[in-house]
Amino acid sequence: MTKYDVVVVGAGNSGLSAALRTQLAGKKTLLIEQHNLPGGCATSFVRGRFEIEPSLHELCDIGPVDMPGEIRQLMDEYGVQCEYVPVPDCFRVISTFSDGTPMDVTMPHGIDAFIEKMEYYVPGSTPKMRELFDIYEEIRQGTAYTSACAGHADSKVMKKKYPNMLRLGSYPVNKVFKAMKLPQKCQDILSVYWGYLGVDMNHLAFIHYASMMQRYVRMGAYIPKHTSHELSSAMIERFREVGGEVWYNCRAEEFLFDKDKLCGVKTTLGTVYCDMCLPNINPEIIYGKMMPKELIPEREKKLVAARGHRYSARMFTAYFCLDCDYKEVGIENYSYFLAGSSDSEREYNDIHAGIDKNNYCIFLCLNVANPDISPKGTTVCSITTLGAPEEWSKVTQEDYVALKEKVATKMLKLIKDKTGIDISGHIEEISFASPWTFARYLNAPEGAVYGYEVRDWDGMMTRMMMLKQDFPIKGLRPIGAAGPRGDGYSAAMITGSLVGKLALKDLREWQEGGNN
Amino acid sequence: MGHNVKVSIIGVLDMLKFKNMSKVREATIQAAEPEEIVGEFAINQNAKALHPDYIEVVVDQIVDHAGAGAKSFILKKEDGSPLPYFRAGQYISLKLKIGDSFVTRAYSVSSAPKWALEGKYAITVKANPNGFAADWMLENFQVGTRLTISSPQGYFHYENLRDNKNVIALAGGSGITPFLSMAYAIRDGAEDFRLTILSGSRNEESILFREEFDKIQAATDKVKVVHVLSDEEKEGFEHGFITADLIQKYADGDYSVFICGPAAMYDFLKGELAKLDLPKRLIRSEAQGVTKKVWEEPGYPKKAKGKVFKLTVKQGADEYVIDASANEPVLVALERAGIKAPSRCRSGECGWCRSRLVSGDVYINPEKDVRRFADKKNGEIHPCVSFPVSDLVLEVPGEYFPE
Repeated sequence: MTKYDVVVVGAGNSGLSAALRTQLAGKKTLLIEQHNLPGGCATSFVRGRFEIEPSLHELCDIGPVDMPGEIRQLMDEYGVQCEYVPVPDCFRVISTFSDGTPMDVTMPHGIDAFIEKMEYYVPGSTPKMRELFDIYEEIRQGTAYTSACAGHADSKVMKKKYPNMLRLGSYPVNKVFKAMKLPQKCQDILSVYWGYLGVDMNHLAFIHYASMMQRYVRMGAYIPKHTSHELSSAMIERFREVGGEVWYNCRAEEFLFDKDKLCGVKTTLGTVYCDMCLPNINPEIIYGKMMPKELIPEREKKLVAARGHRYSARMFTAYFCLDCDYKEVGIENYSYFLAGSSDSEREYNDIHAGIDKNNYCIFLCLNVANPDISPKGTTVCSITTLGAPEEWSKVTQEDYVALKEKVATKMLKLIKDKTGIDISGHIEEISFASPWTFARYLNAPEGAVYGYEVRDWDGMMTRMMMLKQDFPIKGLRPIGAAGPRGDGYSAAMITGSLVGKLALKDLREWQEGGNN
Repeated sequence: MGHNVKVSIIGVLDMLKFKNMSKVREATIQAAEPEEIVGEFAINQNAKALHPDYIEVVVDQIVDHAGAGAKSFILKKEDGSPLPYFRAGQYISLKLKIGDSFVTRAYSVSSAPKWALEGKYAITVKANPNGFAADWMLENFQVGTRLTISSPQGYFHYENLRDNKNVIALAGGSGITPFLSMAYAIRDGAEDFRLTILSGSRNEESILFREEFDKIQAATDKVKVVHVLSDEEKEGFEHGFITADLIQKYADGDYSVFICGPAAMYDFLKGELAKLDLPKRLIRSEAQGVTKKVWEEPGYPKKAKGKVFKLTVKQGADEYVIDASANEPVLVALERAGIKAPSRCRSGECGWCRSRLVSGDVYINPEKDVRRFADKKNGEIHPCVSFPVSDLVLEVPGEYFPE
């Protein structure tokens, strides 16, 4: 039986990135994947004459070729070739301002353009918006620095270069917005991305939100030209090209230990031995089902308990392929954020109360960014909302289809009422992805694709600060959305790279230290 | 940048607070009561119950449809527990070991969705003297035979948000089975649409499920069945093939068309449906299987016909070298060689058999090639509809089969 240096479990964004990281460093890496294709969330599926993007709305940190963002740079470093298409605007949001007046705002990419448009909607807001974006930029650079240091950030550098990040780092978004005295209308408009992280603005760390928003606004967002399956495929092609091995339809069943150090993985295609395993498996599944109980550190049991099974957003998406051009049904923009109010905590609570109270959804039309995504004269669009955990855990198999239809029907009506877009009579293909679907394909606890909520004490920054304390099992370093950077495509890729680097450091110590 | 934003009045306190974040986190963790970690989650359990990797069932009852040369097999879980619920029209894939071969066969579930809750599915197998599996099943399946099946699969079912409330179903022979399930679902209130079935049979004797449909029609006015006999002219039956005229005769206003039948029927209906000028979205077809005469397909490299190529197969850490006939799909070569290869729909659509062509060339009918864009570019193929035209090296995912 061949021995590997590294076994990566799960060929999603995080696993692909981690596998490339270790294989490119010359470590013999095996990537196993429970399905027969790479990608996890970053995949596609075919219905009739359409190839459908299941999850990606917009990929941040790609940036133009001449001003590459962190992810484009990472892909360049890996040697991954993929064609990207820019997304036209940041967003259009149709909601209600805090003062009760209606909101219908479309914001462009580019910091200057964004601030200028904000001035149009909120006269006099420019100085405050400039200040905000300066701080955003400082934080973007600061978080990139801490990620690059992988838990070894120099506090002197931090104080000198990123003082606002340190000062604001411990506060939630709304608290900082208020302290900055941002006009309320700006705050309302700026809140729109909260759904991308699934935690409301009273409980989400300002630096996390700032770092994400900056990544979207500064150099725009992109999508792979032929769905995110194209990007996953490009990553796995590159991984194979540099000597990596891939086993599909192969599930990790158990982690094997030599004393307290991992030495192998039992899989459905046989046992493989390795020095290091990077599983994109939620730690609760690893601890609960895949390793000897006596090796689970006490602190890990406490960490699980402290997190209180607070898994993040339960996603629901309805996909529609239309037999007409998107303009024909009234679609003008790439993404529409619809919300009952601009109070994200209220929205969060309404979502958790169930579909009858939920008025939050994102309507997306890929053709607006990429006319070639479907055959000429057709359209691919989707509705994404978040679901109430109870509703999806309690619904029976018999009522499951009806619940999916109920959610989709409500959101279609909301979209029609608020935007005039009416796709009925044009639907050629339809599909749904519910929390059950994500649980089925990704094994994410409760189908929550975002891992644990990046909330309060368990935010991105604190996880980064405690990289060494969390998951202290020798030879086992979990990756994915439950990891330090939280959820999202680019976050998962960065986590994969970051944890890959930590793994390489371990391997160097063990293998060169000769105590393996 | 020169900004100096503070949340508390003294910025130093903010800095201190930042520094203390990890302490706060650690204290929160340490204050928690450690718990036994189970790793089970309600939604994941729901998903697993609806979509298990595979299901073990036994043949509980066999119904002989002698006139039609078919048998229905009623399958149940041995312990009587519920089977996954499904959309009427979906199919299950049987995992069979025939001789030394591990093969799959897809059959529409013909029973009511609510039967699943009682732990039962029914399928109907029609004799096929030229086939490999059908006659073997008819001969070998006995009450008590253990089988391994997939959960119900596929997209050939009614969609409320897409389809017209009136559905005209066009069935040929045993292609009636998904419509029987739909008719039951309508009767039981599990689906809500009006179903008019034009059911093609050779003659009166070979009509499948005639009594069942009679009962359903007596119970609900939303289901209507018209028997169309190709080889027999008789009072009370339509005669001939299912044509555009016949569809229009029974249509009432707008409608969706659902089709399930043998390959010849699809070919014939292509021309008939063109006369009706329906938009694509109103025509749904069940998967059609694969051609037996690949050399007649468009763009086929004729000189490959009849040849036998060398196929090197990698699966996990294992490697095999086997023969592959140019006249059969790559999947069949794998099955003949006793390799446990994944497959489900066997029509190129579901993608379950997706495998990596490391080297060599295959022929795929371009009109039926529904692979993902990147898969076409990167040489990922669906072996169930790919025919070898040179020696091949193929990486095949793992698959469970009962021995």
